[in-house]
Amino acid sequence: MELITGILTTAFLAGGVLALAALGEVLAERVGVFNLGVEGLMALGGVTGIIAVTLYPNPFFGFAMALLVGLGFGALFALATVVFRANQVLCGLALTMLGSGLAVTIGKSYSGMPAKATFEKIIVPYLSDLPILGRAFFSQNILVYLIYLIIPAIISFVLFRTRHGMNVRAVGENPAAADSAGIPVTLIRFCYVTIGAALGAGAGAYLTLAFVPSWSDGVVAGRGWIAVALVIFAGYRPFGAVFGALLFGVITAIGYVGQARNWPISPTFLSMLPYLGTMLAMILPVFLWRRLRLGFTAPAGLGVPFFRDER
Amino acid sequence: MSGLQSLRLVRVSAVSGRRILAARVLSFIAALAVGAIVLAACGFDPLHLGTQIIKKSLGSRFGLEDLGLLLTPLILTGLAVTVMMKIGLWNIGADGQFYIGAFAATAIGLFVKGPEPFMLLLCFIAGAAGGAVWILVPTLARAYGKVDEIITTLLLNFVALLLVYYVATGPWRDRTTGTVASTGRVPYEMPDFFGSLHWGFVIALIAPVLFGLLLRYTKWGYEIRLTGANPEAAHYAGIPVRRRMITIMLLSGAIAGIAGMLEVTGTVHRLQGGISNNYGYLGVMVAVLARGSPAGVIAGALLMAIILNAGIILQTQGLTTAAVLALTGLIMMFTAVADQFAHYRLVRALPQAAATAAG
Repeated sequence: MELITGILTTAFLAGGVLALAALGEVLAERVGVFNLGVEGLMALGGVTGIIAVTLYPNPFFGFAMALLVGLGFGALFALATVVFRANQVLCGLALTMLGSGLAVTIGKSYSGMPAKATFEKIIVPYLSDLPILGRAFFSQNILVYLIYLIIPAIISFVLFRTRHGMNVRAVGENPAAADSAGIPVTLIRFCYVTIGAALGAGAGAYLTLAFVPSWSDGVVAGRGWIAVALVIFAGYRPFGAVFGALLFGVITAIGYVGQARNWPISPTFLSMLPYLGTMLAMILPVFLWRRLRLGFTAPAGLGVPFFRDER
Repeated sequence: MSGLQSLRLVRVSAVSGRRILAARVLSFIAALAVGAIVLAACGFDPLHLGTQIIKKSLGSRFGLEDLGLLLTPLILTGLAVTVMMKIGLWNIGADGQFYIGAFAATAIGLFVKGPEPFMLLLCFIAGAAGGAVWILVPTLARAYGKVDEIITTLLLNFVALLLVYYVATGPWRDRTTGTVASTGRVPYEMPDFFGSLHWGFVIALIAPVLFGLLLRYTKWGYEIRLTGANPEAAHYAGIPVRRRMITIMLLSGAIAGIAGMLEVTGTVHRLQGGISNNYGYLGVMVAVLARGSPAGVIAGALLMAIILNAGIILQTQGLTTAAVLALTGLIMMFTAVADQFAHYRLVRALPQAAATAAG
């Protein structure tokens, strides 16, 4: 019991990083843009968060600054891929290199220092008395509640319950048809890619202000890539992304517990678990439940730049 | 205003290689200008750095040798990605296949004894097989379950990195010289022919040409090209799409594995944690720069090698690896955008046409 609660507590905390980044990627991919720059955006957000709280010790300030930096670099990426319609895979990889390199360069003098301000735990009255879940979920920092409940609820509502959301999905499925219907394809793509990038950078700030909490080279450690993979696993659905992230939080937590309790496995192999788990989670469902995948297909326009004059 | 109105931008879908090249040269200059401004702002002298790079990388024998040593893995990983692009798939996992190719070659080199030429051949086969094995699961998942290969190949990079790190710091650690995070020296070496440049460079030069010829002049190559252009049509034409896809993916993995094998036996002579030096990811860029042309891979790799070589020189001048990485990212972003700009052309439109275009 104690072990399960411990694993779940760490799982919610660790999964939050992936969940927020994956939610951002859901936004980008729903409008048809494949953003492989998440890893770089997370690094930028992480270092921004740390620098911001060093200047003004308030975690919310740090998080907000990370979102702003994410918006800036997201706009740059959207300018290249949506407005100029450059190759999305190449631009994404370039953004990862640019972001990771820049973050390490800026963050050199902050490396290894603990964050000057971190997100504190908020214990929800009554709910925190629940067995297992009370300690594991309702005694976390405010970002965990935002990431697991509020942000996916907002995204879900907007995407699937509003007219605007229908337009947004149309842009991702068939931009040419959406354009004929008078939907501003380029504008919607630009905005959603940029907001998605901001969430990616926010995930980096969550990492350095709530999870680790400090900055060092390589602190992102491939989480950006896992987030991209999760989106596919989640069938491009916000709550799917959150659920997937939690699952990988659990795998990561088991690895931590294994290290802490000196299981007779090298920590290197425990570190492989999240990547191998993601692989399995992508492959197994396809072969086990073929029917299930029907509702989980990618937006038809994903990765394809839209040229009005080549319609 | 009226003069401006009669001009408008038109997108042309097919453009000549020369236009693309011109756009790229411009974008490269633009990226360098941005980089120079940033460097100047950080207190470096961009002009001095620039002359250092040209003098040390292209103006000296050592510089040219280094360029060749960088070109070898870049051409091969670039080719690995290009091979898969030909059938419409992405291999972002060349880095992992590179690691496992190096891993397999090291395993043979350290633990099997035999005459050198035979052992090198064995290492070569092991490297190719290692790379192919590493892409096997993504291949089968893609061929039989349509599981996105971009992510599955990519995730295995991290597993490969961890595995190599594990053996290099653990069971295969060098116990004689005590080098940190590295295995002992692999006793079998690719022979050199120009300073420290080894015959792997020649293999790397031949491989894209060979693949290009296969693609162009064989039935198999024609089937690959058709499948890449239109898988549905290829299927109805009776081409075994799934079989072709599997061979191409395994071939791609094998080529990246060979790159890893050559890096161990030709350049580094040991297996160590950072041996891939991001060659796999850079290979994706080389392939995109080459625009799917096997011969273009050599040109794309040359540009990349010059950038990397410049990066090494910049590091001796006090710039960090991270700063160089950021600069490379910037150049790539500019290149990607420039490729699109090459598709646009200013044309003079009739006043009525201009009016409808504006409205």
